[in-house]
Amino acid sequence: MYDLVIRNGRVVDGSGMPAYNADIALSGNRIAKIGRIAEKGRKEIDAEGKVVSPGFIDPHTHFDAQLLWDGYAKPALSHGVTTIVPGNCSLSLAPLRAEFRTKLVGMFNQIEEMPLKAFKEGVVWDWETFSEYITRIRKGLAINVAPLVGHSVIRLWVMGEAAMERTATPEEITAMQGVLRECLDAGAIGLSTSYVDMDEKLQPVPSRYADAAEVEAFASVLGEYGRILQIVPEFYDADLTIARLDQLAEISLKYAIPTTFSPLFVNADNVDAIDRVMRRVDEQFARGARVWPQVQTRPIDISFCFAVPSLLFIRLPGWYRIMRFGTPDQIVAAFKDPATREKLVAESAVYNALWPKLRLRLVQTEANQKYVGMTVGEIAAARATTPIDVMIDLSIEEHLDAHFLAADMGHNCDERVGALLKHPRVHIGASDGGAHILSFSTYGDTGFLFAHYVRELNAMSIESAVKKITSDTASIWGIPDRGLLQQGYIADIVIFDPQTINRGEEKYVQDVPGDGSRYVRDAMGVDTVIVGGGVAWTAVAGYNADTRGQILPGEMQDTRTLVPA
Amino acid sequence: MPATELSTVRQSILPKGGDTWQSIAARCLSGTPEAEAVSQLQSWNLHVFMRASGAAGSMRGTNPILPSDVIFIEPPRA
Repeated sequence: MYDLVIRNGRVVDGSGMPAYNADIALSGNRIAKIGRIAEKGRKEIDAEGKVVSPGFIDPHTHFDAQLLWDGYAKPALSHGVTTIVPGNCSLSLAPLRAEFRTKLVGMFNQIEEMPLKAFKEGVVWDWETFSEYITRIRKGLAINVAPLVGHSVIRLWVMGEAAMERTATPEEITAMQGVLRECLDAGAIGLSTSYVDMDEKLQPVPSRYADAAEVEAFASVLGEYGRILQIVPEFYDADLTIARLDQLAEISLKYAIPTTFSPLFVNADNVDAIDRVMRRVDEQFARGARVWPQVQTRPIDISFCFAVPSLLFIRLPGWYRIMRFGTPDQIVAAFKDPATREKLVAESAVYNALWPKLRLRLVQTEANQKYVGMTVGEIAAARATTPIDVMIDLSIEEHLDAHFLAADMGHNCDERVGALLKHPRVHIGASDGGAHILSFSTYGDTGFLFAHYVRELNAMSIESAVKKITSDTASIWGIPDRGLLQQGYIADIVIFDPQTINRGEEKYVQDVPGDGSRYVRDAMGVDTVIVGGGVAWTAVAGYNADTRGQILPGEMQDTRTLVPA
Repeated sequence: MPATELSTVRQSILPKGGDTWQSIAARCLSGTPEAEAVSQLQSWNLHVFMRASGAAGSMRGTNPILPSDVIFIEPPRA
């Protein structure tokens, strides 16, 4: 008897080949048989009218901290994501000496907008090495985790404060190579680095003090293991991006490793630039290099309140400074001070065309509920004032708990984004899952891919879309035995309704340690999510206590056991 | 495809540790007077030139160039 049989489903197997009707039988954590299954299962699922596909793999996340209190990476798992890659952008939570915990938390707060209070109240710091961190998150892990180790934290581990000052000595580079090997041995899937990020003091992160020789030294170690290098290039400029991808291509060819860079956004004003980048990607692939650009599916929406620093204000130094360094009381005081307010209003004038389009999405007081859903311009008209004054006044009245939405800020040209998403040398990713939790929801990009680009625009077939986020991702990242529905493969499976799969409306929930909140989206149209042969989530019963998440590829080094059908 | 057959893109270098505008100018624009060469480099690399220099007392001092930077040694192509 099989442990689980999924019957009558439409199998989209992750290969890109046409879908077909079949049953799937599972034994233990693997797929035992695909076809017409006569034998009964201990548990059976009727997938009539549903698609059965491999679990989705999200290659660009920052769930590093959330995994310490939530082994499901909620709500990613409910969207069908069965494997996540945290540790991107040079930042991981290990290896980390105790004296640099505050520093790293500050960097996560600045770069990934993770609340300081969540770290303070949600994290018991009982690890230093990468191996100890893996042991820590493995408890109660319901989702598979393929963790990158961050270049910046390896620098901090070996060089201490000097990591934020200078290039490494040959001895330090040798030591860092040794640390990288330890991390890879402990289960890291690769190394991440960044060429753009700033730390909590608005200084370059440690990885940016590394010269090219140091990055090559790391790449040589990655070559020993055949593991991946992820970078954040200067994505705002095409020439810089091309220079970076040329650097990556040389590394990829020299050490025979895959590389990936993220993000790559396409907007109305940079179409030619993205075309140039993609032509270079094509040329480098033609040479045999692997330089995978990551492209996200969703357009850029930014939500914000003035209690926390927002990406939207990063080019307004006066605003960003008070949001970044001020307490709520100090920020309110600044807004109430006529001289400070005058300066802020003057500085904000560069975005005067934007402010009226923002929409008020949440307030706390009864008096202001009547404005929720209105644009700032409409509220300004109703109050006979200016849009920026509306934002300041509402924020004072709500003690900064007035939330605004800037929708469709970029990456929203369907034709161009769709063309990129289906490009054979584009890697779908860059969700930033688990990060920027007070700016936008980073969950549901896969549902949006199916709803918008497959169903509404018919820009991709469902087979192609599934392949892009399953077997392509597994192949690029070197994740064995996953990403396909084939006999002998690990049973990470999603059952969904192709007519309704989508991301739900963005909503603000309070489920972060330290009474913190975040923006999330519920899954729509996803029926069942299976991880390692066990039902991890269903639309009916929610999350299952039978957790089977694994560290990848760390725990995949054991002997593969095929279950006879 | 060998690297020599790649299409031509804007020329850039990756700096050496301790590189300054002057040292890069001497190495990459040796036929141009130093002041002019430095000025050209700065205008071609606003992503570096406009960056705040190191924190007070830091080893980087007033040099905005980071070891990880891409430095263009020619203007943008048309």
